[in-house]
Amino acid sequence: MSKVLTGLGVGLNAIVAEVFKVNPPAKLPEWSKTTTGTAAESQTLKDAIASVAADLARLGSTADETTAEIFEALGYLLEDESLFDMAVAHLDEGWSAAAGYGMAVNEFAEMLAGDAAFEERIADLQDLSKRVQAAIAGIHVGLDLPQTGAFVIVGDDFSPADTAQFTPAVVGVITVKGGPTSHTAIICRSRSIPAVVSVSEAVALENGQSVLVDPVGDRVVVDGTLADATKPLEFANTGNDPLVQVRANIGSLDDAKAASETGAVGVGLFRTELLYLNESSQPSVERQSQLYAEILAAAPDGPITVRTIDAGSDKPVPFLNMPEEENPALGVRGYRLIQDHRGFIEDQLKSLEAARIKTGREIWVMAPMIATAAEAAEFAALARELGNFKVGVMVETPSIAAVLPDLEGVVDFVSVGTNDLSQYLYAADRMNPSLGALLNPWQPGLIRTLERIASQAKAAGIYSSVCGESASDPAFAVLLAGLGFDSVSSSRSQVDAVRAALSAVTREQAEGLAKNVLSAKNAEDTKSAAVAALSAL
Amino acid sequence: MSSFEMTVTVIDPIGLHARPASQIVKLVKDSGVTVLVGREGENSVKANSPLMLMALKIKTGETLKVTVETDDEGQATSIVAQIQDFLKG
Repeated sequence: MSKVLTGLGVGLNAIVAEVFKVNPPAKLPEWSKTTTGTAAESQTLKDAIASVAADLARLGSTADETTAEIFEALGYLLEDESLFDMAVAHLDEGWSAAAGYGMAVNEFAEMLAGDAAFEERIADLQDLSKRVQAAIAGIHVGLDLPQTGAFVIVGDDFSPADTAQFTPAVVGVITVKGGPTSHTAIICRSRSIPAVVSVSEAVALENGQSVLVDPVGDRVVVDGTLADATKPLEFANTGNDPLVQVRANIGSLDDAKAASETGAVGVGLFRTELLYLNESSQPSVERQSQLYAEILAAAPDGPITVRTIDAGSDKPVPFLNMPEEENPALGVRGYRLIQDHRGFIEDQLKSLEAARIKTGREIWVMAPMIATAAEAAEFAALARELGNFKVGVMVETPSIAAVLPDLEGVVDFVSVGTNDLSQYLYAADRMNPSLGALLNPWQPGLIRTLERIASQAKAAGIYSSVCGESASDPAFAVLLAGLGFDSVSSSRSQVDAVRAALSAVTREQAEGLAKNVLSAKNAEDTKSAAVAALSAL
Repeated sequence: MSSFEMTVTVIDPIGLHARPASQIVKLVKDSGVTVLVGREGENSVKANSPLMLMALKIKTGETLKVTVETDDEGQATSIVAQIQDFLKG
């Protein structure tokens, strides 16, 4: 029997080819002091930086425009004058060229730390530091990929400098680390190279082995054939109504117009913060209500669920003062902004009420990052005082999911944001590429939490919906219907695919699928249980 | 030599990140003049280092003071206008 390794798939096409392992370069020497003096060491450092800069320029000259721009930016970091000056200060203390540059990079990495916008740049900077140190030690760091033939390359993870060296012989990629948003995943998706990332068992693969890269199946099969590849699910058009309503996620007027071209019934998530990110001062109620009225009028027919501002120190709105925080994902964000910005949230609700009256649309309002039933009650009272809305809250924190029955009589509806719920349930930072596997929506811990939310909401007479990314996956949407949610909200490009899936199943079939999925013990088995049930239709 | 001090506003939704920092440094190096960038009332940094600019951790909506050391007012105005353009995102 062939060996199956699981990970997270990137792309829809499968490929079979020979493994080509990219070994990590030889270990860099330990940092040490020398007696050669600052002048000689700083010349060594200058030469090493120049040789790495020449490598980057050479890679950039043969790359596509986007990659070439990345290399130009890397060149500026590499040859940064302040960085060089800081390195020279360490050479004055007697450290070697490699040690001095490494220390200076660490100091800058520390200065830039704690800011999500710089995480990737810090990784780039450390990669450049390794290259400079390797050049000084005479260690070769190129990938040396074959130019001809067809290979699946296997490595820990690939940096921008690595992916730029991919030759036409690279027909598939497997990485041990990295998540769905890692650099490797983004490049492979844009170049249509089949890839499976976050495959921890890939370290055991050997050169020359034949493997099937099966991204739709989220797996790699040793000695597998293309006939074993998982097919993307396709649903026959039955002409039936979908099992539950499918709404659209929007954030702008353009989104609202595009969503109304789909089969979406209303909007399940209107992200309002996008309207404010480019405003340097708080817009007046008149201006806000005008913006809202335009978008409401363009949105697809049906109720429109509006989420009040969901900003935080990592996603700041210019005119709301948001001090830097140690852990922005766990900080003052979403509804918690009411502590300092009650006036802004009240203005938002007043503007929505004015836009509702002007357009005659049915508006549901909900607050993000609600952690307690008391916060939910406070928001509900405020929203009912300021407008004629259906009122609800997002379920993103494990704490509100734990007390859902207490929301009976408090809110009209709840909407689950599965991206944040996963992040908080698994204590796994969404920005961290090493934690992709925990954020897989097919994790049983998330699915069983969703099951409790749906059944407790039903028992409390509360309408329930899911608006996270997972609701854009047709198979997951069928699972959500089977778990008892009343509607799903998908990204607009996925609305019709999700509708097709939900039109192809009966309630009994969806519930049967959910029962099988709930009994599975890992993310691989939950997904295959769902896919098996849908393939059998 | 005289110098000219003007202000720019960061409109880019990610703030002063790697890309605008590199663009500013390229402009400053090509122009050959000394340019200082910083918050009002705080120490400025020389705009010849993208890392020093990034380490200011400037966010969207902040106003920055730009000092151009030159005798040519036209050159100063043009440099500041281009920096403002880089910060539009």
